[in-house]
Amino acid sequence: MITGSGIVKSFRQRGTILGSREVRALRGVDFAIPKGGAASFIGESGCGKTTLGRIIAGLESYDEGELVIGGTALSELKPKQRQPHFRKIQLIHQDPYSALNPTRTIHQTLHAPLSLRAKQTGRSKAWIEERAAEVLSLVGLDPGTVLARYPHQLSGGMRQRVVIARALTVDPEMLVADEAVSMIDVSLRLGILALLKDLRERLGVSVLFITHDVATARYIGGDGELYVIYRGQVVERGPVDTIIADPVHPYTQSLLSAIPVLHGLEQPGEQPVVPLEPLDPGQDETGCLFAGRCPFRGERCTSERPLLQVTEGHPQEHACFYPERRSVIARPLSEV
Amino acid sequence: MSATLIPEAGSATATMRRNFWQGVWRVMKRKPSRMAGVVIVVGFAFMGVFGPMFFPEHLPGNVEAITQPPSWEHWFGTDPQGRDVLALVITGSRYVLLCAAVTALITVVVGTGLGLFSGFKRGRWDTVIMRVTDMKLTIPGLPLLLVLATVWKFGSPIQMGLVLGLLGWGGVARAVRAQTLSLRERGFIEAARGLGLSTGHIVGKELLPSMAPYIAMNMLIAVTGAVYAQVGLFFLGVLPYESDNWGVMLNLAVFQAGAMIQPNALGYLMAPLLAILLLTLGIVLVVDAMDEIFNPRLREE
Amino acid sequence: MPEQAPGVRIGGLTVVYKTSAGELPAVRDVSLTLEPGTITGIVGESGSGKSTLALSLLNAVQPPGRIAAGSVEIDGLGDVAGLRGEQLRKARGKHIGYVFQAAQNSLNPLKTVGKQLLDLGRSHGVEDLPGLVREAKELLGRMGLDGARVLDSHQHELSGGMRQRVGIMLALVLNAHLVVLDEPTTALDMITQANILKIIREVHAERGLTTLVITHDIGVVAEVADRLAVMYGGRLVEQGPTREVLGAPSHPYTRGLIKAIPRLVGDIDEARALPGRPPTLTTVPDRGCVFRDRCALRMDVCDTEDPAAVPHGSRIVACHAVTVKEHA
Repeated sequence: MITGSGIVKSFRQRGTILGSREVRALRGVDFAIPKGGAASFIGESGCGKTTLGRIIAGLESYDEGELVIGGTALSELKPKQRQPHFRKIQLIHQDPYSALNPTRTIHQTLHAPLSLRAKQTGRSKAWIEERAAEVLSLVGLDPGTVLARYPHQLSGGMRQRVVIARALTVDPEMLVADEAVSMIDVSLRLGILALLKDLRERLGVSVLFITHDVATARYIGGDGELYVIYRGQVVERGPVDTIIADPVHPYTQSLLSAIPVLHGLEQPGEQPVVPLEPLDPGQDETGCLFAGRCPFRGERCTSERPLLQVTEGHPQEHACFYPERRSVIARPLSEV
Repeated sequence: MSATLIPEAGSATATMRRNFWQGVWRVMKRKPSRMAGVVIVVGFAFMGVFGPMFFPEHLPGNVEAITQPPSWEHWFGTDPQGRDVLALVITGSRYVLLCAAVTALITVVVGTGLGLFSGFKRGRWDTVIMRVTDMKLTIPGLPLLLVLATVWKFGSPIQMGLVLGLLGWGGVARAVRAQTLSLRERGFIEAARGLGLSTGHIVGKELLPSMAPYIAMNMLIAVTGAVYAQVGLFFLGVLPYESDNWGVMLNLAVFQAGAMIQPNALGYLMAPLLAILLLTLGIVLVVDAMDEIFNPRLREE
Repeated sequence: MPEQAPGVRIGGLTVVYKTSAGELPAVRDVSLTLEPGTITGIVGESGSGKSTLALSLLNAVQPPGRIAAGSVEIDGLGDVAGLRGEQLRKARGKHIGYVFQAAQNSLNPLKTVGKQLLDLGRSHGVEDLPGLVREAKELLGRMGLDGARVLDSHQHELSGGMRQRVGIMLALVLNAHLVVLDEPTTALDMITQANILKIIREVHAERGLTTLVITHDIGVVAEVADRLAVMYGGRLVEQGPTREVLGAPSHPYTRGLIKAIPRLVGDIDEARALPGRPPTLTTVPDRGCVFRDRCALRMDVCDTEDPAAVPHGSRIVACHAVTVKEHA
């Protein structure tokens, strides 16, 4: 179980000598990912979803809040003691091309973390080789042909599998997949997604899926929760299928409306929501963060900020004063 | 299964090493110019190490044949004391090359070390080291050397190399730091940190190999720089007279033998110049291959 | 200058790249017609040859690549494959507008958009520069931007979606009626993507253009294109009206691609990955069908004979299995 509460993170943007601007990347985010479960963060680029993923993987610091990994609250530990906890959470990078060292063979890449582990647990050298072959088989690669290769000799899809295999060398509890398939050929994407799904089932690894594509989130973590993040705030949270079928926050509705319709196979939703254009980055900080782009904003929205809450008639949590169901997603023609 | 894997593991690194050298050979074969470069550089190394052994400590002079033009007996003629110019160049090469090697080594070791440390640690240490580097870079090298030469005689090539090296690492440090800063943001470095690998591993096994072509190039270029610097110093005559030093030879050829007006002394002037030129050429030709040697993609193709 | 949308007829186009293994075809024997006033979408993965095909439209394939065979006939211009030098340069801005991938790298980071617009105008000998600026502002305004402000901005001051709009403006401002958009929405967010696609559709209709959209994302084509062409391994394997192709794909690759898209509604486990991986320039087979290694309908003839592109009703499909079924 990995939980976070009230995570706050600000970045200082370099300004002039007179002062710098503070950008709030995360404004008090709560989340909980059960052991072996799944969760998906969706939102546009710059919404803070990647930052949150990096914080969870221990690659970024946070200003406020608490992370609890497997029952251990990290605030009670010194920075040095946190490392072994963060090691249980492995980040799968978006770009499989920069995630592997071009000067090292796959064997060398897998050998380093495995030999560290062998040293810690008193295992033999033979175990390292065995385990290296094992993790490669787990991700669907043939150890015999892959081990001696350099990254440039592998396709993007194979590289991403190697990256996943490398993460598995430390027996992680959770994989954080940050747009893990966006740089991979379309016909190979589903293979990688299926692999992550398969690892969940076979190894009981939880998967945190960070993406802008709701459909892929549904594929990997259909049984988990969906977090819709806007400007550092979770604006809607609930079971994936509930949110896809019955979104109530206008931002979620805009995201779902924006998904291209496969004409010929699907019929567009009846009430698509088109948000107004994004404002300047230095937008209004009072009131609802989405108010400036929201086609349905009321008076209350510009003066008061809605918090994540459950209201009557809606199973999911949302941060909207005027929640309303709208039919936004495309339906298959066969269903109509 | 495990029993059969152990020998395989041992031989895996050996195979890798063999593959690497096969790759180097392939890269070198791609262009004849690279082979020529290697031959020249290796030739100079041999000359520096073994050359002086073939000659007596004090080269015999022939007063009957002073400042002779090139002939079959003396390929580059003789100097004003009647000694063979080629022999002088060869015996003098050891000082020049040893000094250059020491300079290159120090430049690269100090520059890479500080650059890596600075770029990887960032923060306060980075600021301190970089300020020192900037200060060092602003010190004009040649005037400082001239001043130093008045108090220190640089008797051994190692001392000379040490001084040149300590004056030369600034640029390398800055460049290596910049490279480190950009590399440390790469996914694979981040992944290594996430896997809990030690800093030693990250710096030594992940960062350094990625910078190897760069470091190797800097090292080779530092060699030529050091040769120019010391030959220049000796030519200016600020350092003690040493009859077979290339710089001193140039000085004597111009100011004593009058090579500018005396065609007979032309060989005396040309021999050290040609040696420097050839060495530089060899290094430039080899540098061309560095990128391909250390980049597996270019190496294996 | 053609005042209405030109038609384009690509016939038997083959583009080869020179490699150490000899000249390899990136695009092989492709025939495609863009009817005047339509939007055509080309879908393909990396290495499918879709970008090379788009570049051939401008005869802008860079060495070591070259057009080895075939023709690209554009109304009012003739065979572009035969144009050279100055003629070609003129044609590129005035007749054919090209919007580069996400417009990220096609803007000069040191100059304002306005300066680049003027450069473009001058290099094409536009005399009425104020008119050009007026036209640019109008176009930007049409796309929902503050024209004056955008022209005064540098690249880094614009968001991805704004840059893409600037790219479209620069492609259209010289009154080109044939527009090629290369991956117009890659690296853009969902909502921005939807907006750009809407703009492409609207501008296309308003200005009377012939548009070609190149993408790896079948969803993008589904949104905007009237006709869809699927490329694989340098070959055009299927083309036809978008709705028909999506609704009932014929070629096994098209079918596999559509099946591999996770959907929002219905049984998610129906999504199936395509086995194998797409060929690259060096691994593409020189004989037989390019897709056979990943194909469920593979027959003996696929190993030896390259399937010809055969019309089936409104569709053109290059597949032995489909041809056999039609005739059975």
